[in-house]
Amino acid sequence: MTSTRVTPAPAEPAERPGRSPAPRRRGRAERRPRILIAVTALFFALLYLPIGVVALYSFNAKKSLTVFGGFSLRWYRAFLHDDVLISSLGTSLKISLAAMAGSVLLGVALAIGLVRSRSRLGSLAGLIMLVPLITPEIVTGVASMLLFKGLGVTLSTGTVMLAEITFSVSYVTVILRSRVAALNPEVEEAAMDLGATRWQAVRLVTLPALLPAVLASAVLIFALVFDDFVLAYFTTGVDPQPLPVRIYSAIRFGVRPTVNAVGTLMLAGSVALIALALFIPRLFGRKGGLDILSGS
Amino acid sequence: MDATPAVRLDGVSKQFGDSYAVRDVNLDIEAGEFFSLLGPSGCGKTTSLRMIGGFTDPTAGSVLLAGEDVTDLPPNRRNVNTVFQSYALFDHLSVADNVAFGLRRKGVGKDEIGERVGEMLELVQLDGHALRKPGTLSGGQRQRVALARALVNRPAVLLLDEPLAALDLKLRRQMQVELKQIQREVGITFVFVTHDQDEALTMSDRLAVMSEGRVEQCGTPEDVYEHPASRFVASFMGTSNLVDGVYRDGKVVLEQGPALPVGRREGVGDGSSVSVSVRPEKIWLSDFEPGMSVLRGVIRETVYSGATTTYLIEVAPGVTLSALEQNTARARMEDRWNGGETVEFGWRPEHCLLLD
Repeated sequence: MTSTRVTPAPAEPAERPGRSPAPRRRGRAERRPRILIAVTALFFALLYLPIGVVALYSFNAKKSLTVFGGFSLRWYRAFLHDDVLISSLGTSLKISLAAMAGSVLLGVALAIGLVRSRSRLGSLAGLIMLVPLITPEIVTGVASMLLFKGLGVTLSTGTVMLAEITFSVSYVTVILRSRVAALNPEVEEAAMDLGATRWQAVRLVTLPALLPAVLASAVLIFALVFDDFVLAYFTTGVDPQPLPVRIYSAIRFGVRPTVNAVGTLMLAGSVALIALALFIPRLFGRKGGLDILSGS
Repeated sequence: MDATPAVRLDGVSKQFGDSYAVRDVNLDIEAGEFFSLLGPSGCGKTTSLRMIGGFTDPTAGSVLLAGEDVTDLPPNRRNVNTVFQSYALFDHLSVADNVAFGLRRKGVGKDEIGERVGEMLELVQLDGHALRKPGTLSGGQRQRVALARALVNRPAVLLLDEPLAALDLKLRRQMQVELKQIQREVGITFVFVTHDQDEALTMSDRLAVMSEGRVEQCGTPEDVYEHPASRFVASFMGTSNLVDGVYRDGKVVLEQGPALPVGRREGVGDGSSVSVSVRPEKIWLSDFEPGMSVLRGVIRETVYSGATTTYLIEVAPGVTLSALEQNTARARMEDRWNGGETVEFGWRPEHCLLLD
């Protein structure tokens, strides 16, 4: 045992004489190299200028794709009266909604299963699940098409849906997995302790805790699938075609400014959805909806 | 006791691979009792509690609640409720909805739910916080929500898994008193897991000390403290002077130094190695009574800690005993022993325990 006698604490070091100035503001002295600013600006210009041009010419009063002849909504009106494009838009919305519902349902279940399963098979499944994320989409597209053909399935909107669901499950699972892992397992046990069955515990306690991440991933999947071209191109039937595929076919026979209007609308929609996906977790007042996107 | 025990663990074991978390535990917990499972971390106390709650399946033995074998029943079909160490509150529900959760699962009527939730929030002094979310409450308040959420179901047994561990010392002391009061008020059997021996001593009607998956001793706090059944219990419950030696004819002979008179013991053969345990507060330093064993030693250190003073007395090379004296109104500062002085000390024979 040691003595508990208290020794006087050493005197506080005397304050330094006031010769040292206030701490320098960090970064103030550093010159920002202009070249880096220029490179960054060039990067963003190359990235967004073409898109800007598309958006600008969607409001062109003239039919020209090179000369701007005043502001007009004529190409938007043309789009609204183009039955083929409108039906393609409807098809794309249907595919996106189906892919969203299907992949979220499977992805949430898979995420919970992968986190809870302690077996080797579980961790193997967790690894396999990541493969679609790194497989070139064209490979997935061709493979899906060959599979459907091999099985004698006629390509249609339904086959696009199946392919998109398969592809999207990985995203949902990756997003949800970290959230499930962060859940306190005692909370589900508490629900069962209070009389809930296993399923009630998941429905009443686990799913509400996951809701922000579920909604955020649903929005993300909708946006990703809606403007997906490659997978849709290989797995769609002839009619109706998803919007991106329809636009691609239309361009082959000459670009009409209507395409600019459609592109601009799709862009606006996607931006709105991504913003929503980022915003949803904040709506619930907690963190961790789309950690991947927000980078936190 | 003749009544059916509220909880009976009958030869219960839990094996993970080759190692036992709990090994052949037999316990009877009486109805209405405040019963503690006490032990260091990893001793199997939480696993035992989880087996009563139904969260962990025993690999052998059976769990009985009020005489009924519930070993194979899931948690939602056992008439017990749990206060978890992490509280495990439902963060997306209000305090009132958290407390009402169990009653809703049972299909209790809406009016009755409102009434019982209100009563319970009053009992744990959270009326006025009913509509708040758990995330906005302090640690002590969250603890009360967890307690209310379990108690409102009027379980036959309430299981508490170190519910006070996350609270700071002052709040913990306060909650100890409140928990005990609430237990008396509702009359429900409490099974309380803790690693804090003071907590177990002050709160329990009876307690079981566990070590390495086994119950070392089970009894009233006084029983366990005054008559520890093993070396482990003696050293885990409070402080004890533990000295090893060889028993010979009513004495324990230390390797170097004196023989400690311990009185004749039945069933201890001459020449067997034993441990001697004497509590520091049972050692006298003056005013000896007839019949006491009195020895001599040298004071090595004097540690003053406010209400008490502890002396470290060397009785043989390398063997020191600590003796505790109360600094009572009658004790004078100058009467205290100083280092290096030779003192006489002694104890009543019954306070010197022989442990194998």
